[in-house]
Amino acid sequence: MWKSVVAAIAFLALGGSAFAASAVNKDAQTRTLIVTEGGGKTELALAAGETVEFCPNGCFVTLPNGDLEALTGSETVEISGGVARIK
Amino acid sequence: MIFRLLRLILIAIVAVAAQSSPGAMAQAIGQGSTQLIADQTKAIQDLTAKTDGLENKLSAPDQDDAGLVDIRLQLEDISRAALNSALAFRSRLNDINARIQVLGPPPAQGQPPEPAIVANERAALTAEKAEINAVVAGAQNLSIRISGLVDRIATLRSQLFRSVLTKRYELSDALSPQAFSDAHDQFTGLYKAVASWLTFALKFKFQAMLAATLMALALAAVLLIGGRRLFGRIFEADASVEEPSYLSRLSVAFWSTLLPTVALGAFLASTVFFFNYYNVLRGDIGEFLNALLSVVAVAFCVNRLTNAALEPRLPNWRLIPVATGPARWLVRLATAMAVVLGFNYFLSVVNEKMGSPLSLTIARSFVATVIVGVILILMGVLKPFRARDGSWRPWPAWLRFIAIGLGVSTIAAALLGYIGLALFVSIQVVVTGTTLITAYIGFLSARAIGEEGGFADTSVGRWLSANSSYEDTALDQLGLVVSIAINLMIVLVFLPLILLMWGFQPGDIETWAFKLATGVTIGSVTISVLGILTGIVVFAIGYFLTRWFQGWLDGSVMARGKVDTGVRNSIRLAVGYAGVALAALVGISAAGIDLSNLALVAGALSLGIGFGLQNVVSNFVSGLILLAERPFKVGDWIVAGDISGTVRKISVRATEIETFQRQSVILPNSNLINNAVGNWTHRNKLGRVDIKVGVAYGSDVKRVHAILLGIARAHPMVLKNPEPFVLFANFGPAALEFEIRVFVADVLNGSIVQNDIRFAIFDIFEDEHIEIPSAPRAVVESKKHEPWPIDDDKIEAEFAERERLEAEAAAEQTRLAKTKRRGRKPDPD
Repeated sequence: MWKSVVAAIAFLALGGSAFAASAVNKDAQTRTLIVTEGGGKTELALAAGETVEFCPNGCFVTLPNGDLEALTGSETVEISGGVARIK
Repeated sequence: MIFRLLRLILIAIVAVAAQSSPGAMAQAIGQGSTQLIADQTKAIQDLTAKTDGLENKLSAPDQDDAGLVDIRLQLEDISRAALNSALAFRSRLNDINARIQVLGPPPAQGQPPEPAIVANERAALTAEKAEINAVVAGAQNLSIRISGLVDRIATLRSQLFRSVLTKRYELSDALSPQAFSDAHDQFTGLYKAVASWLTFALKFKFQAMLAATLMALALAAVLLIGGRRLFGRIFEADASVEEPSYLSRLSVAFWSTLLPTVALGAFLASTVFFFNYYNVLRGDIGEFLNALLSVVAVAFCVNRLTNAALEPRLPNWRLIPVATGPARWLVRLATAMAVVLGFNYFLSVVNEKMGSPLSLTIARSFVATVIVGVILILMGVLKPFRARDGSWRPWPAWLRFIAIGLGVSTIAAALLGYIGLALFVSIQVVVTGTTLITAYIGFLSARAIGEEGGFADTSVGRWLSANSSYEDTALDQLGLVVSIAINLMIVLVFLPLILLMWGFQPGDIETWAFKLATGVTIGSVTISVLGILTGIVVFAIGYFLTRWFQGWLDGSVMARGKVDTGVRNSIRLAVGYAGVALAALVGISAAGIDLSNLALVAGALSLGIGFGLQNVVSNFVSGLILLAERPFKVGDWIVAGDISGTVRKISVRATEIETFQRQSVILPNSNLINNAVGNWTHRNKLGRVDIKVGVAYGSDVKRVHAILLGIARAHPMVLKNPEPFVLFANFGPAALEFEIRVFVADVLNGSIVQNDIRFAIFDIFEDEHIEIPSAPRAVVESKKHEPWPIDDDKIEAEFAERERLEAEAAAEQTRLAKTKRRGRKPDPD
């Protein structure tokens, strides 16, 4: 029983392993990022309060204000008040 | 009209003049931004130009696989560089955004206009931002284009591979008399090239060549002789050993393949190196020599391996139990196969360098593949095992069918003109087969070492057990670790080797290894081998550092500082727990696991944990309180409820107490915190011992009091202060009751003092004729044994009488049994 608890915790923790960029939407509305990764553009819609992991190996991302930024894959993009900030 | 135009011009001039000063200010804020944009634009242009060059190269018609992989690696580098040059703008972009936010939004329609200075600065910042975005967009476009190119390379490579395997050649061209004359021309050309080089070398470079050869020979000799000196006795098959263990056979096979191959490889590599160093090689000769030497190395390795596994000369050391004759044949066939393929490879290098016609290449490959096919079939039909009755038995069916099938299909493919396919199959059979067999031998030896007692039998194990204090079980566990390590090493070494053989390029493997190390994403879960390994290593280092620090603090600092044992123990434990917790946290962070996620999980589970682990948590907290408060320490005599004994160990969940009957009691810490705990030795070991004694009514009580006090004072272990005291306790029903109360320095010696005092009381009371009354509670009548009779004649008479009576009784019983039914036995109880 102990083993399975430890395994479950380890697995859940691994899910959040910090080897990808993450985006957090702190606003009450849905915000959209456009992610260019591996030759394709995808729209990443973030619901209110949602956190999403994306871009493990570097990508370009178009922020809600129209800025185009490059990510190496270890940053956190935080959207609050419609403005995205990269940490 | 003219006036309006003039006004417009005037306004424009004013606007430009007004703009110039705040524009300069904005420039001052982000000094070098223009420079940065120019630099990165230039960098991205360069990268684009490079990509253009690579794309052109890609479109060239005759690209081989290695070339394509090389292009792909370069493209990936360019893509990373583009990303990096886009990253250079981040801080500037952040500054601009922050500044724009400070300036606020432009005033809406109908609002009073803002000052021109603000509007101008906003306009300048927006313009700069647009410029930066344009450069980043360029980088993004480049990265999209490169990813398209990488996909195209993957398609091209699979097409190339398919076309090599499926291309059909006309055999009639290749096997015409023309081919023979071509071959003759080729050989003449080769002979001339080699001969002219030899004359040149002998004439002008003789000494250099001699020196190079001698140096290479010396190096190989050092390796070989040194290797023999080091390992010779261990890794050499000894004919005198009757039945070598499987493990020693395996290690002999493995090492007797590896060492000579490495020595030969070193010799050949150093030969080439020294020849190059002395400039002996000229033109294509270097290429030829390289090819020839690698062929020699491969053929030698295959020969050594088959020899080691089959040992035609020493049946005892054979790994596979085939008979001697077939073993010899198998070695020959395998070596022949390696030599044929190697020779084919050498000729292909010659053909390429000398620009020979295609028909010759086809003819050579055709001959080589047919020979390999025939050898495979021969190996398959060989009957290697000898049954007890002397008949020969073939290989197991699956092995036989695979060998024959591969042989037949190779020959068929070659005959039908699919030379590429046939060559691919035959090279795979030799190279992959050799690699797999070596890896398999390694696996087997790992298994043998991992078996119980396996490691202790090896030379390392014997050396360890002779020169260290390891127990058998420790050696066994060490063997398990070694066997796991060997398995891991084999996978790490041979998996890339086999992948290389199967036509994957080093670049592919590099990319995979990189991906595996930095993280594989499966759904939303990212697993990174490197991260996890780093975490484990960091934790291990932290753990050992903690243990070392703990030992140092306890053994050196606190022992010298004459710190109390209890405090020492508490500090040691606290330091240990804190260190391990710290190491775990650092390890988790190093593994790249976000602790905030852990907090989330912990929050979700906390209610469940609160209920389920209530007791554990309460004991844990109690343990921490025990460490801080220290109501008792290790070695104290405590009484907790029914349990009385010495404290042996205080850990975080429970405390170990050893009773005086030497029973270990594990008491949960919460019991010790929530309930009263008596400690006999808390501040000091002082303790009081009470001894009760009664004297008969009518005795002189004053005299008794004086005698008892005298006895108590006379004992050496009884303390003078507090003074011993004799209490006239009671007028009891049967006696006048006294109680001696004495204090002893060490309460653990109480029993000895009690014993001594009681003996003394008994002796002195007897001398003084003072009676200690006893009140009999019950009269127990004991049956006295008859004394042993002395009259022998009487015994004999009695014995005879008894015998007679018994015989009569038995006869009576048998008579009764015949007439009556036997009665039932009584119930067991």
